Amino acid sequence: MEMSERNALCAGLLAALILFGAGAALGQAVIEGKVTLPDPEKVVAAPPRYAGQVGEIAPADPPVAVVYLEGTFPASATNSPSGSSKVLQEGMQFRPALLPIRVGTEVSFPNGDEVYHNVFSYSKPKRFDLGRYRKEDKPATQLFDRAGVVKLYCEIHQHMRGVILVLDTPYFTRTQTNGVYRLENLPPGHYVLKAWADEKRIAENPVELVAGQTLHVDFDLKKAAH
Amino acid sequence: MPRKATVALLACLALAANGQAQEWLDRVDDKLSLNSNNGFFRSSLTGLLDAEGYYVDQRPPGLLYGNQSFFNPRATFFVDATLGNHFYAFVQARLDRGFDPGEADFEARLDEYFLRWTPFDDSRLSLQLGKFATTVGNWVPRHDSWLNPFITAPLPYENLTIVSDDDIPASPATFLARRSLPDMKDSWLPVIWGPSYTTGGALLGTIGKVDYALSLKNAAVSSNPYAWDLTKNQWRYLTYSGRLGFRPSPAWNHGVSFSVGAYLDTDAADQLPAGKSIADYNQTTLGYDVSYAWHRWQLWGEVFLNRFEVPNVGNADSIAYYVQAKYKITPQLYAAAAWNQQIFGTVPDGAGGSQTWDSNMIRVDLALGYRFTRHLQTKLQYSFGHRDASQQQGEQLVAAQVTMKF
Repeated sequence: MEMSERNALCAGLLAALILFGAGAALGQAVIEGKVTLPDPEKVVAAPPRYAGQVGEIAPADPPVAVVYLEGTFPASATNSPSGSSKVLQEGMQFRPALLPIRVGTEVSFPNGDEVYHNVFSYSKPKRFDLGRYRKEDKPATQLFDRAGVVKLYCEIHQHMRGVILVLDTPYFTRTQTNGVYRLENLPPGHYVLKAWADEKRIAENPVELVAGQTLHVDFDLKKAAH
Repeated sequence: MPRKATVALLACLALAANGQAQEWLDRVDDKLSLNSNNGFFRSSLTGLLDAEGYYVDQRPPGLLYGNQSFFNPRATFFVDATLGNHFYAFVQARLDRGFDPGEADFEARLDEYFLRWTPFDDSRLSLQLGKFATTVGNWVPRHDSWLNPFITAPLPYENLTIVSDDDIPASPATFLARRSLPDMKDSWLPVIWGPSYTTGGALLGTIGKVDYALSLKNAAVSSNPYAWDLTKNQWRYLTYSGRLGFRPSPAWNHGVSFSVGAYLDTDAADQLPAGKSIADYNQTTLGYDVSYAWHRWQLWGEVFLNRFEVPNVGNADSIAYYVQAKYKITPQLYAAAAWNQQIFGTVPDGAGGSQTWDSNMIRVDLALGYRFTRHLQTKLQYSFGHRDASQQQGEQLVAAQVTMKF
């Protein structure tokens, strides 16, 4: 094959890829909106009762919500790998305090404090206890293979609260602290859009997604509390 | 405890195992609080409901009362309150069958109450006044039923010696004769009586990896609970205690403690030798404590060198120590084991010689604990204790405990 022919073939392939990509992008939908978030919980740690118990406690993360899409998705979406994520313990708080992940995700729990932490959960989707570990230790990991709500606690610091929301969908996001969210690359079709702040504050809305269009959906999770 | 209260307690514990009750308890956990709108005043109510059974083969040694197996329900309520960032108050109230299990049919007490002022924005210094646990040793922070891996206290905190705070021996011979008697639980003293909730003040704080506590209180660390309230001894005979702790890493925690103060009851003054007063007879305690934790393991150890200055006898010295280990087998199941020992020195026997003043003792504790939820756990403990003496009290103890935390 002549060099010019080879170049022409490469250029053609490139053009085809660009066109395909653009078409794929045009074939996806977007949802954006704002979630009115619940007020911050007033879980404040009391000072230690006895001498020798130490620790300066940083403020907890402000509340956010998880927005996710439920329904029957194309196989290409559901077969994609779940990946990994992490929940840090820092300032004697879980960060993030609310982590959405997909079923099959492995989560690591690095300790960013100079004191021990002991992360555990007795939630049905995942019961575990990481034991005591230091900042210098290799972070322990857990595989979350069942959908549901996994509540995180620290055995040493009882004020610490965290949640991992294990979802059976690849389409989810966490809102910003002002409630704004945006879900991209969504497949066209009929689905249910949910906003989740905690087990008592969940709202949902059926949505019809059309390729290339952006849908605007707001939720009020202050009012959604049961 | 009245039968109705016991039934109510058992019903609460049974309900706590229910799944919906767990969610309710989770919410209660966060809701039993009273806060001002701006957060300047914050208070919360928490508590523990315990149902315990003690099964003994003979009259139990130490701070277990009664001559046979018994049931011991207990309700403990805690109030934590803060005013701004500089004032903290704490109250612990209990309804039970006496401070020590089986001591009474029913009692309601304020075991702890104190006010703490922290002048700086960090924890370098605090001043605390009230009735609160001893600053000696490292058992106090884990002494409640939820955190203690065992049901009973370590040996130094409950093994009664023949030293009495209200019965002054007339001679070394009468003192040594007590070795062949069963424990006189209302009169004899251990090295430290449980968490020793005596009344007074303390300076405490944390500076980097060092924490310290110095306290001035109204009764010795060995004193009987009836002496802990301010109304008993007031401020006539003070006990000075303290602990200096060092944490070289999150895994290790070392501490040295001391305590010195008069231990005799004021009512015993008229039994003292002529010219002597209560203040002439001190209890002096030196302690070293260490703890270590790594992954599923937690280990604790304490050793105490203790001296009672006994009227008409002399210095009665002993060394008491224990080592405890806890291992989490699964996220909810743990096993714990402890080795405890107390070795006694000698005192003049009044006949030109000297004798070991009490019976050396060993005790092995084994426990299994299971946390059903964040609010419900159960423990089972087996202990075997043995004295180097002809007088053996109950050597074996089996205890079970169910605790609901809210």
